[in-house]
Amino acid sequence: MATKNHYAFVIDVARCIDCRACLVACSVENNVPMDHTRIWVYDQGLQGTWPDLSRAFVPYNCMHCDNPPCTEVCVSGATYKDATSGLVLVDQEACIGCGYCVAACPYGARYIDQSRGVVDKCTACVQRLEVGLQPACVATCVGKSRLFGDLNDPTSEASLALKNAMSVTRLDYEGNGMDADPNIFYLNLPDTSSIKASDTFGQVPQSTLPRPSQYTLSEAGWKKVAIPLVAVAMGATFLAQAIFFTKQLIEGEKDFED
Amino acid sequence: MPKTDVSQLSRRSFLKLGAATASALAVGQFIAPPVARAARQAHLLDSNGSGYISTMCEMCVWRCGVRAKVVEEKVVKLEGNPDHPHSKGKLCARGQSGLMTTYDPDRVLTPLIRVGKRGEGKFRQASWDEALDLVAEQMLSIKSKYGPEAMVFSSTHNLSQPLFENLLYGFGSPNYGTQRSLCFNAMIVANSITYGMEEPARDYSQVKYIILTGRNLTEAISTSETSDLIDSISGGAKVVYIDPRFTKTASKATEWLPIRPGTDLAFHLAMINVIIAEKLYDAAFVDKYTLGFDQVASLTMSTTPEWAATLTGIEAGTIRRIAEEFGAAGKYALAHNGWRTSNFINSFPTERAISILNAVVGNWGTTMFPSSGEGAGVLGSPPQPAYPRISAQRLDGVPWMYPFVPLKIGVFQQLRDSIVAGTPYEPHGWFISRQNPVQSLPDRQKTLEAFQKMDLIVTMDILVNDTDWFSDVVLPEASYLERYDPLVPMGNQVYIRQPVIEPQGEAKSALWVYKELGTRLGLADFFQYKDEVDYINQQLAPTGIPLETLRLHGNATLPTSTGSDIYEWSTPSGKVELFSSLLEKAKFDPVPIWTDPPQPKAGEFYLLTGKVGQHTQFGTQNNQLLHKYQDVPRLWMAPEAAKSLGLSDWDTVQVTSPVGTVQVALQVTDAMRTDCVYLTPGFGHLSMALRTAYGVGASDSVLHVTYTDPISGGQALSQTFVSVKKA
Repeated sequence: MATKNHYAFVIDVARCIDCRACLVACSVENNVPMDHTRIWVYDQGLQGTWPDLSRAFVPYNCMHCDNPPCTEVCVSGATYKDATSGLVLVDQEACIGCGYCVAACPYGARYIDQSRGVVDKCTACVQRLEVGLQPACVATCVGKSRLFGDLNDPTSEASLALKNAMSVTRLDYEGNGMDADPNIFYLNLPDTSSIKASDTFGQVPQSTLPRPSQYTLSEAGWKKVAIPLVAVAMGATFLAQAIFFTKQLIEGEKDFED
Repeated sequence: MPKTDVSQLSRRSFLKLGAATASALAVGQFIAPPVARAARQAHLLDSNGSGYISTMCEMCVWRCGVRAKVVEEKVVKLEGNPDHPHSKGKLCARGQSGLMTTYDPDRVLTPLIRVGKRGEGKFRQASWDEALDLVAEQMLSIKSKYGPEAMVFSSTHNLSQPLFENLLYGFGSPNYGTQRSLCFNAMIVANSITYGMEEPARDYSQVKYIILTGRNLTEAISTSETSDLIDSISGGAKVVYIDPRFTKTASKATEWLPIRPGTDLAFHLAMINVIIAEKLYDAAFVDKYTLGFDQVASLTMSTTPEWAATLTGIEAGTIRRIAEEFGAAGKYALAHNGWRTSNFINSFPTERAISILNAVVGNWGTTMFPSSGEGAGVLGSPPQPAYPRISAQRLDGVPWMYPFVPLKIGVFQQLRDSIVAGTPYEPHGWFISRQNPVQSLPDRQKTLEAFQKMDLIVTMDILVNDTDWFSDVVLPEASYLERYDPLVPMGNQVYIRQPVIEPQGEAKSALWVYKELGTRLGLADFFQYKDEVDYINQQLAPTGIPLETLRLHGNATLPTSTGSDIYEWSTPSGKVELFSSLLEKAKFDPVPIWTDPPQPKAGEFYLLTGKVGQHTQFGTQNNQLLHKYQDVPRLWMAPEAAKSLGLSDWDTVQVTSPVGTVQVALQVTDAMRTDCVYLTPGFGHLSMALRTAYGVGASDSVLHVTYTDPISGGQALSQTFVSVKKA
């Protein structure tokens, strides 16, 4: 559906230093419980053989999809795609905490806040957008890795970043015969198929880890984005494996809370 | 993963701590604190009690600008101040978590007086009057029995330092400890010798080629500089990162060189060799502005890449190529001096070589500039008498053992060693402000021995840290969001730290504490201000800037002084001294000469230290938000080394040095050379009053052997060798 605004994150992976300012900023801004997190920095882990090593950090959160799988399964209508902003939001008054959307999200971007019995996730700091501020994670990003803006506005920071980008990757999800069309656009995402155990996931309390679901990722170029661009998609299996790894981590033997 | 059993701890701990319950970590929704009355009274907020209050961060020493967001009288969030040169609208993880530090459930809220044995952590609450009367009485008693030099004072550099200095020099003690010899003495003494300034400013706006020698800028974060580095990399600048460990900075660099520890000097001497031999230096700059080029040229004739290759483990061809690339970049090149560079006994000549390398490519005025420093020249200060004449020697050996170390910097580890040895005289009391020598000084056991010799230990802090745990009297300081501090000028701007939140409990600012204590010690003349606001007004008096302006915007423009010539250096010759007559006079090598640093025996490892982006030294581990997002602090080891010792990832290992032993979980990683291990610094807290941090990780200060560089007084932090076995 076409919305008045088309908000999107543009994340330059080459600029992320995994300082985690975004994580803390989000926690404070949105009063996220201590044992949960709305956003992550995925640590690719060391790649290559010593001394020719590389390591990338991939910030991510709810992708505010154009065709969100989560809204379709919501029984109470609490999860919806906002007609004005295009953001995927949760009306926590209406949410019954059934968790269907948590299972449906291919990106593991939702969690149930047990203390309140409702689903919670990244809202792109909608309360900040309303007063003309950037999301907390974007505003504080030390490496300027995280950008955010309205793709319907060609002068927005996000539009300009995409206009000048050499390569753009979206981690798209195909299920039920349609693309999710996520609204995080990655720049400089490393082309890698070897995801190793990430230290970063081990650090957030277990309950904050994205809940894995069965899914497949497929590459998607640009769709429904009114900016002409030659996109070179790559590394599309990247997140899939990241989340498979996470699943192993959760279902594996390691107990981080002893 | 080791985790503090909070409930058990609170049963064991006799401390009356903050109001929040011990279960905060489990469910902790953060409670927004009420806004400071002063901010409301000064009309910094709108009629709903909403708006921003500008102040300055103190989660590290970088002093970023903060705008605290207030909604209906509640402080809900800290934002970076876009108008501040250090933050430019950004805050790192630590800066973002500042409210949690201020509202830490373990905050110490009243003065505490020890009731158990030292180190038992048993205290009773006391009023300020009782605590300060007791401290003053004991200090004066020490003074009358043993002389004022028997009181030792130490503090980590901060904005209230001038008043701390008034307290100790007014009292008549020469014994002044700072943290700096555990940090960057090698760098600042080398820069002072070469450029006549402690640390030239680095400018990344035009840089094309950067050599970072152990400068892990993406984890040892200085917000603006880290941001500038990432910008320059995105803009195509080439970065050569030299470190035995593959850090996050290595992952951003064009090239990583896993150098053998302690051989950075050989690498840089080889760089200079190639640049001179191949005539890649800036002859015009060298001729006009430097002294001693010929001596450097003859010294480095033999320090070829081939010579350095065997020492450093880096191929000669690689060194030569990097030298040629650096030389080709010329004035657009920058060799970073590094910060926590006091890693080996040869760190001082290493720093000198880096300074010389920068000078010969003529990058002065392009990527390196004079530092503006903390030139408080334009600000006023309250009147005060001259300090009493102090004839006693300083226990830290400055200047009688260490002639090149500035008095303001000192040699902290030597101070501690002199206390233990009781020479040249026995001190009896120690006043420690905002500092944690138990965690910071090498050889923790020795620090605890020094404490045992004291009749009086007084500490000032916001939490009962590991040093406060051994204290007789703990004075609760207001956190940086709850107080005023003296103003700080940066360039042509002046910045304010002002209260955003009301101080909790009985916590007070350092300005208040030093004045109150000073008055009781008979030193009222050194503290001629009514209160914090009066002090700041006296600072502003000569500038004509009204305090209201500063409070509203957080900063103001100072009356400009005429800019000085950037091609004038405060060295004896007025030039950049590649050859130093000062060093020659003191019978030290006037140009940097290679000496072999010690090496570990078979079966031992270099113990490396470093930084993580989520913490500042040893001071932030109790912050629950940082705890939430930190890595489990482990000992890093290369797979090959782990295999030979029969160790696996997550094994608990015992790490032993000549002075101590710790147990910690192992992290097997390709990031390490096989001859090194790295221990995440800052953990291993022993104060049970730090309920979040206690029992997490291990402390490298337990393991570090004390080695002091004879020129700069820096502690050689990576010269400790350890053995590792399964615990």
